[in-house]
This record gives sequence, structure tokens and C-alpha cells, in this order.
Amino acid sequence: MADAPVPAISVRNIHKSFGQHEVLRGISLDANDGDVISILGASGSGKSTFLRCINLLETPDEGEITVAGETIAMKRNRAGSLMPADRKQVDRIRSELAMVFQSFNLWSHMTVLQNLIEGPVHVLKRPKAECIAEAEALLEKVGLAERRNYYPAHLSGGQQQRAAIARALAMQPKALLFDEPTSALDPELVGEVLKVMRALAEEGRTMLVVTHEMAFARNVSDRVMFLHEGVVEADGAPEDIFTNSDSERFRQFIGNFQA
Amino acid sequence: MGFDVAFLWSTFVKLGSAVPMTLGLFAASVSLGALFALGITYCRVSGGLLLSAFGRAYIFVFRGSPLLIQMFLIYYGLGQFPAVRHSLFWPVLRDPFSCAVLALAFCTAGYQAEIMRGGLQAVPAREIEAGRAAGMSGLLLFRRIIAPIAIRQALPAYSTEIILMVKSTALASLVTVWEVTGTAQRLISQTYRTMEVFLVATLIYLLINFIIVRLMSLVEYRLSPHLRERPVTASNGGRQGEVHG
Amino acid sequence: MSWIDLIGFGEQGRGGILLWATCMTLAVTAASLAVGAVLGAVIAAAKLSASRPARWLGDAYTTIFRGAPELLVIYLVYFGGSQAVTAVGKLLNYEGFLGLPSFLAGAVAVGLISGAYQAEVYRGAYQAVARGEIDAARSIGMGTLLRFRRILAPQILRFSLPGLGNVWQLSLKDSTLISVTGLAELMRTSQIAAGSTKQYFLFFVVGGALYLVLTTLSDRIFNFAERRVARSFRNSLGRR
Repeated sequence: MADAPVPAISVRNIHKSFGQHEVLRGISLDANDGDVISILGASGSGKSTFLRCINLLETPDEGEITVAGETIAMKRNRAGSLMPADRKQVDRIRSELAMVFQSFNLWSHMTVLQNLIEGPVHVLKRPKAECIAEAEALLEKVGLAERRNYYPAHLSGGQQQRAAIARALAMQPKALLFDEPTSALDPELVGEVLKVMRALAEEGRTMLVVTHEMAFARNVSDRVMFLHEGVVEADGAPEDIFTNSDSERFRQFIGNFQA
Repeated sequence: MGFDVAFLWSTFVKLGSAVPMTLGLFAASVSLGALFALGITYCRVSGGLLLSAFGRAYIFVFRGSPLLIQMFLIYYGLGQFPAVRHSLFWPVLRDPFSCAVLALAFCTAGYQAEIMRGGLQAVPAREIEAGRAAGMSGLLLFRRIIAPIAIRQALPAYSTEIILMVKSTALASLVTVWEVTGTAQRLISQTYRTMEVFLVATLIYLLINFIIVRLMSLVEYRLSPHLRERPVTASNGGRQGEVHG
Repeated sequence: MSWIDLIGFGEQGRGGILLWATCMTLAVTAASLAVGAVLGAVIAAAKLSASRPARWLGDAYTTIFRGAPELLVIYLVYFGGSQAVTAVGKLLNYEGFLGLPSFLAGAVAVGLISGAYQAEVYRGAYQAVARGEIDAARSIGMGTLLRFRRILAPQILRFSLPGLGNVWQLSLKDSTLISVTGLAELMRTSQIAAGSTKQYFLFFVVGGALYLVLTTLSDRIFNFAERRVARSFRNSLGRR
């Protein structure tokens, strides 16, 4: 343990534009193993785009992404924009970074259990029986053991999101990316999802969480990043940043939530 | 294979001379069919048990069986009976053109009746209620409130049906009406230049369709000022398939 | 001879041959659906592709084969195909006219039309697949092919079912036009029976009734299949 720890995720200077609009204007982030980082920001601040750039669901125009010491190779195409040099590498790195979406995005033609084993069996090419056993354990953990043979359409939003979290865990990822996991949920269903996420944080999982849940950011995460118009406006440990931040904008932002 | 412009042009001219026949079949059968469809729709929505059963049966039979067999039934089948041959309908039923128009009209009436019913069902009950509250009833209510809304609702489906009818007129050639497709077939068997004749004939049909679609969308536009100012939302998702049988 | 005997299964009856013809109609329609499925998939891919020429070709195809009268397409394939076959025959020192087999010509012609409609069905079905589910597949590292096989294709098939039902019904009716090539399907057989017995009315009514049976039965089957699929599948479309 003499070596300096390699960050689980290291992102350097990400830029991203949609047309004329520059959504991300140079964002960097280092997440060590076990870090839980909440990313806050008003809608349009670029926080979801930033998360989607990390596993290349959006291709950044500029910047460098390193996962567990492995940098994603990028090249420029003829038009001069950045693109991944090696699709296989991208797919492999994606399989190490599981993502949980705002709108769950469970595959609607598969049951919950089938959703869970899809990636492990077909992407990681692991034996099916083993994957099923693990999937069942994960479903137990998120409280959906009895719903294993349900189709997503037959579950509540909260159940779907818990299933989606279990699906992400089934990939045995190095880190979890959460993209506003509770924003599409009815208020009474938010709690059950947050409970699962809190348990994951306590297990020591590496998590990047784009969220509007102030209580989660404040009480569960190790670090809070506040984005404003595509740049990091405030960054720090929650106990510091929530009590005395230099940023007027951040104080205003949390003020809106406390009101 | 070079382009023989002279041949293409002479084909275009020959097929063009059959266009009036195609348009005649089309116009006569669509308007006659609309008339029949009105009657059937009336049977279905406000008739008693017997009438509405008739309406349903009509739609079932004429939408469920192929147009060609309906056309042959009218042209060859009815003429088989001496009673028909001696009736005052015989001048009509003896004539291929009018038989083709009748068959096309009967068939499209089944489809049009379904479209009309769909339009009627789409009229919001609350707007009918508002009409009643204003003291309207019966024909006045239908003429001023129900029909205008229903027609606007039915127009898109109606356009599709009308385009299908342009194509359907081709079947008239099989009962010896020399419209565009029949003429094209004759040209093919004379010249053996299948591809060229096909392309020219198709071009003619596409032109006819294009003009009709333009006219229909003009009508739709004129009839829907209340939809125009709607803020434009950029959505490119799920355009509806235009298939219908 | 009474009309019952004429359509019955006795020595003079046409019942047997009409039933056989009904099977022929089903067979040629099924073959055209298969031809159309392959064409439709290719055309749909072209219409959805990023390449402008491919999109243009796809659009041209669907415009032509949905805009041209079905009968004209049958003439194109039958006469055009026969000419091609004859030309090949000449090369092999066979003088004289060679016809394209009418079953093949019919299946290809109706298949060309069906392909245009199926392309629209598949394109619509593709667009109906929730984008988020594709994102989810990408996010766990599924490559393009795997994504297509495991996530897209099954859903496209399910979303296509109602549209394919429509196409099947259209093709059943279009198949009557194959009678002009001489294929002994239901239309042609009714026509021959009508002509040789002079009982036009009877045989066209019987033929029409058999078509009604076919369309009604296939409607039932497709409805059943759709219900089966809907039961396990997204029945709350609003929730994504």
C-alpha cells in the first residue's frame, strides 16, 4: 500500500457543446475508491451531460477520461471533432462503470431477472447459472426478490429504479454513475430508492450522483460539486460547503431548496 | 441501357391520353362512395338494431373481401341473371365503366364509412353538450357543431383512402376499361419495354397522387385555423404508419 | 345440377379445387410476406441510415411501390422477369419465349409492394423503442451488434406486429391480382370455375366468401398474437 492510490475515475478538462451552446466548459474531477460524490446544479447546468460524458454516452469535444488508471484513447475525425479511437475499449470501460438513469431505462421486453443477467451473460460472458444466483442475491438486497419475474411495466417507479440499481450492480462495476435517480419518481417513492443508495454508500462503493436530493448530498456523500453554466462553481466536503460556501450562487441554490 | 427519350415521351403521351379515364373512374367512384358511406354511417350510428347490423355487415364484407372479386361479381356475376338483363339497370350493368365505378364505390364506401364513424366518435361530448346548451338540436346541431368537427378529425385518414383509390382504379382495366394501367399493359405487350413503360406509368400515378395530396392538405389547412398558432414543438418521434387495408 | 353440387366435393363439384386454391393463395401471400420482410428490413435500414444517398434510395423505393398500382407492379415483374429469363435462355441457345414461374413472379411482385409497407412498419417500430433503453445497453458496454440482437430486434418485432397484420391483409387482397399471371390461386380458380360452368355469380360469391374467411381468421390470429405480446409487454406506454 505504499503506492499513491490510483483514482477510480479521473476526468480532465471536459468541454462539450450542442450546436452553438457550450454546455460544459472545462470540468475536471477525481474520484478515489469509495468516494461518494454528489453533483448538484440547476437544470441546464450541464451536470447530466457531464455524467454522460464520463462513460461516453456523449462524446466530449475536449478532455481526457481515465478509469482505474486506463485512459480512454481518443482521436480526431476529419471534421476535427473528438471521437473514441477504439470502440472495444469504450465498451469495456463502460462495462466497468454502471449507470443508473433518471427514467430507469429497464429493457421493457425482459423480466426483472432477465434485465439483471443480460449484461453479465452477454457482455461479460459469464456462466448463466452463476449470474442468476448473483442476480437473485442482488434482488434480495434491493427488496425485489418476489418481483424477479415481473416485467418493468408492471412495477411501480420506485421498484423499477431499485431493479435498475440492481442491474447496475450485477455488472460488478468499479464505480456507479447515478443520473438524477429520484427525479422521475412520485415523492412517496423517493425514500425507498434513497435507502438503497445509502446502503451502497455505506458498503464503500464509488458513486457519482447527479441529484436534487439535498439531504442525500449533505448526509451521505463525501464530497459535493456544484456546477453552474458548465463550470465547477463550488466543490468541497458537505459539512464545509453547506455551512459556509464562498459561492453566492451556491448559497442561493440551496436557499431555494430550504425555502 | 441508354435512355430512349423519344420512346419515353411517346409512352408518356399515350398513357397521358388515358389519364382522363383514370380520373373519371376516380372522381365518380369516390364521390358515389362517399354518398353510400354517409348512408352506412347513418345506419351504424343512429339506426335501430337491424340497420346497424346491416351497416356492420356491409363494412365487414366490403372491407374483408378483395376489390377484384367484387368487381367481377358485379360485371360478370349480375349479368348472368335474365331478370337483371331485362331490368332497367341493364344499360348500367352492361357497361364496363359504370360497373367498375360501382364496384370501386361499393368498396370505398366500406372504408369511408369506418373513417366517418371514427370522425364522429372523435367529436368531444362536451362540445355537443355546449351546442345543446345553446339550444341546438337535431339537424342544426349536426350541421353546425358535429359535422364540422368530425370532418376535420377524419380528413387525414380520408386523404390516405383517396390515394389508395387512385391506385385501385387500375383494376378497371381487368373489366376492359382502358385507363392508364390497362393502356400500359397493352404497350408492354406491344413493345416489350417493360421497365420504361412501368416507370412512365408510375410517374403519372405519382403526379396524380401528388396533386391530390396537395389539394387535400390545402383543404386541411383551410379548415384548421384553430390549430395553426399552436407553438411548434420539435419532435421527430414515431410518425404513424400509413398502412391500412 | 344444383349449386350445392357445383361447389361441393362430388365428381362435378369444385369444392376440392377451390380449397386447394385457397391454400395456394395463403402460400403465395406467405411467400410475399417473407420477400417483403427482407426488402422491408433493408429499406427501413436505408431510411434510418445517416447516409443521405441511402435515405434517398429508401424514400424513392417506398414512394414508388406504395404509389404505383399493384397491378402495374405485377406486370413489371411478370413481363420484365420473363423477358430477362428469355434473354438468358437465348444465351444458352434456347430459342423461344420462357415465362417466369407465376408463383415466383407473384410472390416477388406482391413482396416488392409488401416490402415498401413493411419498411414503414419497421421504421416506426424502431422509432418506438425507448431511446433510454438503448442508452442503458450502451452504458453497460454492449456493442452495436449485440445491442441490435438483444435489445432492438426483439422490441422492433413486437412493435411491428399490428402493422404486419395490416400488411398481411393488404397482401392477401393484392394476391388476387396475381391471377393475371395464370397462377391457380383462389381468384383465378373462381374465375375458371365461373367461366366453365357459366355460374359467375355463384363462384364469385363463393370465392369472395372464402376470402372473407381468410381475412377474418388472420385478423383473429393477429389479434391473439398482439394480446399475447401486450400481456407481458409495456402496457403502460406513458411510463418510460
